[in-house]
Amino acid sequence: MSAESNRREFLQRAGLLALAIPGAAITLDACSAVATSAKASTIRVGWAIEPDTMNPLTTYSTQAVEVLQLVYDNLIHTGLDLKPQPGLATAWTYSPDGKTITYQLRSAKWHDDKPFTSADAKFTFEAIKSKQLSQFAQWVTDLTSVEAPDAATLVLHFSRPQAFNPGLAIPILPQHIWQSMSASQIQKFTNAKAIGTGPYKFVNWKHGQSIEIARNQDWWGTLPAAKKITWILFQNEDVMAQSLKTGAVDICPEIPPTIWDGLAGAPNVKPISLPSFSFHHIGINVSDNPKSGGNPLLKDRAVRQALSYAVDRKQLVDVALAGHGLPGSVILPAGFGEWHLDIPAGQQYNANPEKAKALLEAAGYTHSGGGVRSSKDGKKLSFRLIAIQSTSVDVAAAQLFRNACAKVGIELTLTTLDANSLGSTVYNSKAPNWDIFVWGWDSGVYDPDYMLGVPLCSQIGSNNDVYYCSRHYDQLYDEQATELDHAKRLALVHQAQQFYYDDAAYIVMWYQAKLQGYRTDTWKGWTPVNGGMILNFTRDNYLKVQPV
Amino acid sequence: MSRLRYLARKIVWLAVTLYGVVTFNFVLFHLLPGNPVRLLARSGHLTPQAVADITRVYGLNHPPLEQYLIYLRGLLHGQLGISYTYRTPVSQMLGQYLGNTILLLAGATILTIAGGVLLGVVAASRRGGGYDSATVTASVIGWSLPTFWTGLILAFMLGVWLHAFPIFGSQTPNAAYTSELQRIADIGSHLFLPTLTLVIVNIAQFVLVARASVIEVLADDFMLTATAKGLLPRRILWRHAVRNAMLPIVTSSALLIGLVVSGAIEVETVFSWPGMGLLVYNAVLNRDYPVIEAAFLVFAIVVLLVNFASDLLYQALDPRVREA
Repeated sequence: MSAESNRREFLQRAGLLALAIPGAAITLDACSAVATSAKASTIRVGWAIEPDTMNPLTTYSTQAVEVLQLVYDNLIHTGLDLKPQPGLATAWTYSPDGKTITYQLRSAKWHDDKPFTSADAKFTFEAIKSKQLSQFAQWVTDLTSVEAPDAATLVLHFSRPQAFNPGLAIPILPQHIWQSMSASQIQKFTNAKAIGTGPYKFVNWKHGQSIEIARNQDWWGTLPAAKKITWILFQNEDVMAQSLKTGAVDICPEIPPTIWDGLAGAPNVKPISLPSFSFHHIGINVSDNPKSGGNPLLKDRAVRQALSYAVDRKQLVDVALAGHGLPGSVILPAGFGEWHLDIPAGQQYNANPEKAKALLEAAGYTHSGGGVRSSKDGKKLSFRLIAIQSTSVDVAAAQLFRNACAKVGIELTLTTLDANSLGSTVYNSKAPNWDIFVWGWDSGVYDPDYMLGVPLCSQIGSNNDVYYCSRHYDQLYDEQATELDHAKRLALVHQAQQFYYDDAAYIVMWYQAKLQGYRTDTWKGWTPVNGGMILNFTRDNYLKVQPV
Repeated sequence: MSRLRYLARKIVWLAVTLYGVVTFNFVLFHLLPGNPVRLLARSGHLTPQAVADITRVYGLNHPPLEQYLIYLRGLLHGQLGISYTYRTPVSQMLGQYLGNTILLLAGATILTIAGGVLLGVVAASRRGGGYDSATVTASVIGWSLPTFWTGLILAFMLGVWLHAFPIFGSQTPNAAYTSELQRIADIGSHLFLPTLTLVIVNIAQFVLVARASVIEVLADDFMLTATAKGLLPRRILWRHAVRNAMLPIVTSSALLIGLVVSGAIEVETVFSWPGMGLLVYNAVLNRDYPVIEAAFLVFAIVVLLVNFASDLLYQALDPRVREA
């Protein structure tokens, strides 16, 4: 699952806000805070992006998943330690060959009082597999059959061993509500009265305003303290931050950097910066498609590595991101802990213009006219660079990148487009006519699989935005995806990252921080987690906080 | 009889214009670069089969001309389609957002027009005095303030500092009202700041237009006649001068209503007011054609109807228009 389009909107607004001068004036002033007299019973979340739909099979938004993960249970959930913990499944076992997973299910009730059984779980997996309409379909690619031998057992059979347990990602749906719908009916189903087994029942969604859920008294787990949770939509992040200061909201999961900086020192407000599972990158068109309009010189790995050497990622973070992030390298962000391959600074293709020049010389780009290098036969190192106009951090980074490249003799012409136009240009898989772009990715699961899957040959026409295709990389990916031994898988994951890093089709610029803020006088016990206390794959902070 | 023919001709024109607008909108938005399916399918490892299914569900697999005919047929049946983003019938969404916009803008527009005209007429009658220059200066300052900035400053002063008014939304989230009156009071307090912002930045045009046009009428000969007849100054001003100065005010009002219905997007953004402006803004970003087309259809209908009404009002106010 990618939150990319949403995250991008978020950054667009952040960019717009940077222009709003009075905004800065407002955030500088921290003058008031209301003391809440009664004990809090509702968690009020302030955010700036609205979910798309409450239908878990058709949503593409992180915000929708945030709400739905409290209404629906998965078989397995991610805890605050980012480790798997029981959900509707109390235990799960792998067969010796790793191709079969057996889940022991607990007894639970749907919000409409009907009993939950293994038939519901079986239905959910089969529907996702056969109808192929959902983003969850990626987790059941290898699923061959599903069995429910009794009401409390679910057995999934796969064609290959599964390193990633799909029980972690898929919400279990009630068969009695969903079974009669065809694929196209599901596509149009709004699910306005979502029925799940989760700790909260869906109450309402006032479009453009707020979403509310209320505690499910019959939930199987330890009942959470909050009777209600409300997500309040702000169209202006300055006003959102002010509302955190005045006490109108309890927590904001995504705050733009300049506004976040302004929260420092506000009474009863704690701003917090956490590592994320996201990165921004410079993507280089390496398509083998004969109709590709990309400059063929970029298919030379030495040229790509020179581009990578030319730019100083620390400067990108400091200038474009105002310091709120870490310099990037491989495609798994540092938030992934041990999965992230830590390449020593001396071995990185980074901030070394001399090395870039040497590489270009060796590759035959020895002539120089007007500061732009070319080869003997007149091939000029001059490329087009595109970025999203409203994502100010990307535009700033693209400018720094352009200037850095000019110093080593590579000419880049920067054009900015709106997000949708850039997306259509990059993803025009029939004839991708572009050279270099800037944008980013988020991972929706705490597992390397999603991000490592982006550069696969099979992802061309889908997530693979640079049309990279390497048999060796595909093989490394397949091996890690089917390796159940943790240490062995870790080694494979590191190898895959190194291999893709060396090929330099992606120049990962940075791993941006997730900037959040919460009130300290309403709820206590917010636990910092990589990826964010909320708006993350773990829902446990909502379930564990206590009123002050 | 000629009155009826005039009306009939106007209504036919209305229909033709509307058809033109519908077609223009359709062509315009389908020409925008970008592909809605790419946004719909932009997630996870969707198979090409799944992408094709989604394209089919939304009818985007047909050639453009056929899509246009399907769209027209839907319109005639009162169907505005399904939002690509929210996957909800557009008519349902439009209802909610339009309702909020009307709630905000009806009050603000009436206050702007009535307040502006009142201030302008009084200023005209005391032309050159202290009151006159104060009113004109104040309204010109309001006119030149950026809406976004004014809203933020008001939110900061009256909302954050003084805690006098809420600064976001159309009502308190999760509020449990004990009576209908309480609910209305809550909505009213949420309306205050956005309304005030709109009045401040829009009132100048009415102050200035009313003032200038009343001053012009006051210089006419029949004003002298009225004074000579011994009429009270107040009656001369309001019954004779203002009535004759109404035409430019009606024109300005029609223009204002046409402008504001498209959603006072800046005010809606500052105060997170869930109205048409926001809906359209997000729909454009998401290439949500059905929502954009429906919203612009509504705007077009409103602008046309307001113009139609102002034409009729002209006739009622000015016999010369009637004869022409």
